[in-house]
Amino acid sequence: MRNYDLITPEGTKDLLFGECILRRDIENKLLGLFKSRGYCEMITPGLEFFDVFNLNSQYFPQENLYKLTDAKGRLLVMRPDSTMPIARVVATRLKDATLPLKLCYDQTVYRTEPALKGRSDEIVQTGIELIGSQLKMADLEVISTAVDSLRAMGMEFSLEIGNIGIFKELVGKLDVSDHVKEKIRRRIETKNFPALNDLLDSLGASPVTAALKKLPALFGGEEVFEKAAELMPDENITRLLEELRDIYRDAAEICGSDGTITVDLGLVNKTDYYTGLIIKGYLQGHGEEVLSGGRYDKLISEFGYDIPAVGFAVNVNGIAKVMEKNSELPRIPGADVIVYAEEGCEVEAFKAARKLREQGLIVENALFDDLESVREYAMEHKIAKVVVIDGESKEVQI
Amino acid sequence: MSKPIRIALTKGRLEKDTVGLLEKLGFDCTAVREKGRKLILPVPDANLEVVLAKANDVITYVEHGVCDMGVVGKDTIMEMDGKFYELVDLGFGRCKFALATKKGYDFYGGYGIKTIATKYPNVSRHFFEKKGMDTEIIKIEGSVELAPLLELADGIVDIVETGTTLKENGLEVIEDVAPISARLIANTVSLKMRHAEIEHLIKLIEENL
Repeated sequence: MRNYDLITPEGTKDLLFGECILRRDIENKLLGLFKSRGYCEMITPGLEFFDVFNLNSQYFPQENLYKLTDAKGRLLVMRPDSTMPIARVVATRLKDATLPLKLCYDQTVYRTEPALKGRSDEIVQTGIELIGSQLKMADLEVISTAVDSLRAMGMEFSLEIGNIGIFKELVGKLDVSDHVKEKIRRRIETKNFPALNDLLDSLGASPVTAALKKLPALFGGEEVFEKAAELMPDENITRLLEELRDIYRDAAEICGSDGTITVDLGLVNKTDYYTGLIIKGYLQGHGEEVLSGGRYDKLISEFGYDIPAVGFAVNVNGIAKVMEKNSELPRIPGADVIVYAEEGCEVEAFKAARKLREQGLIVENALFDDLESVREYAMEHKIAKVVVIDGESKEVQI
Repeated sequence: MSKPIRIALTKGRLEKDTVGLLEKLGFDCTAVREKGRKLILPVPDANLEVVLAKANDVITYVEHGVCDMGVVGKDTIMEMDGKFYELVDLGFGRCKFALATKKGYDFYGGYGIKTIATKYPNVSRHFFEKKGMDTEIIKIEGSVELAPLLELADGIVDIVETGTTLKENGLEVIEDVAPISARLIANTVSLKMRHAEIEHLIKLIEENL
């Protein structure tokens, strides 16, 4: 048998020193920002019953979940997402809470990714959920929080919005099986124009198929709305487009000149419980979105509590990756002082060290039995000051 | 001028056809034509940077966003899958995936599980899954035609261009699996962040296909 005692499983890694500082810094910035807007933090278990993710609508394919069983043989999963556990909590313990609820989280999610692709199975997501409001103001609040989150990373960013409702309206008018609808969705999502056209041509020409063909090409700036106006003469679609345009204009103002707001009517992700607004955030230099979210008005009702919600999650790993690529890792702040105890003065030394820490210094207690080794250690670790405790304490400058 | 757009080309025939297409658009591809052993080459007047890679790697580089665009065969896309936009059917590099057996062999007869030899296990698996048919799939690296001749497999799923190799070895196509041609793909973020430039290039390409 082979031993794997010296390595970590594929898709995971150890983070050391500077990498941790960078990660924590991103997480703290985001959490701080959310809390300053009145969001309250939640922590849900890393393990959940499989059933939480196996609702009527299957948002997460079972082959992408890490599964195990509990002591009673029941199927558990490592949480692949935070929104569904939060929906579960909202529908149970928070059922009588005053609405709207403003919740935030900062936790790891686990999904199996294809091997040897340089992807991570363990991702830290920091995000918000705004529960119980269907107002446009709620959508804008989430967009504005997303813009602030991206801006806080100090890089060129772009926020993209869409509305999956337009696709759902259109495809709902087609008399085809769910299987075919899924094929259409997939081809719009991947902007696979040749395959989408072939498939829609086989369904016969109609205003609906013509509109679906155009959907993936409708992305960019405000001009998209001009082009989309001729998409289809339909009351619902016109209304959805007008609402989105409204949000787009407000979002552009909220964003100011710091970043770019764009629109893509072809955003039709799969694992999405999304019902309306979709948002995605990009940073220059990273090949995948670092922020994603939207409105999910039907999800919590699957847990028995029918209320609307909107939110997003930031992929902290993704952001850390861009930052590591763009600049050096943050330096670890070394100790300011090292305290060395002569034999018999150990307790005195701990007391002295505590006093120094109370002044705000980083203080180490030396773990050597001769002063020369302490000096060498201090030199190597760039510690400026050695304090010797030998009954009457004295300071030695390095 | 902004940072060049990086486009990964599948080495070999697709590379030559793509360079031909770029020249038809009026771009100077001298550096690519006289590449020697270099793997990253400029096409300055198009503000492009051509990267030469193996088919599977084209997809990997585009998925990660280290290349903004790529030219790769539908065969590789079907086998690899992945997250990227598949924008244009370039029309060249045409061939097909097909199921072939020894001449006259009754592949669908009997109730025994059939064995398939292939370089494309995912394509084969999906094809038979759709038929609701259990098969045993064996991955072969070299000439797949050997497997039925050596009686390792009942049939093969492979790329067929002219069918000459099949014929000369006493095999025949019994069913087409999927048509194949070269595709222009793009990284999902690049398409958004560099929309105007990429859209312009796509328009030029589509007008000249």
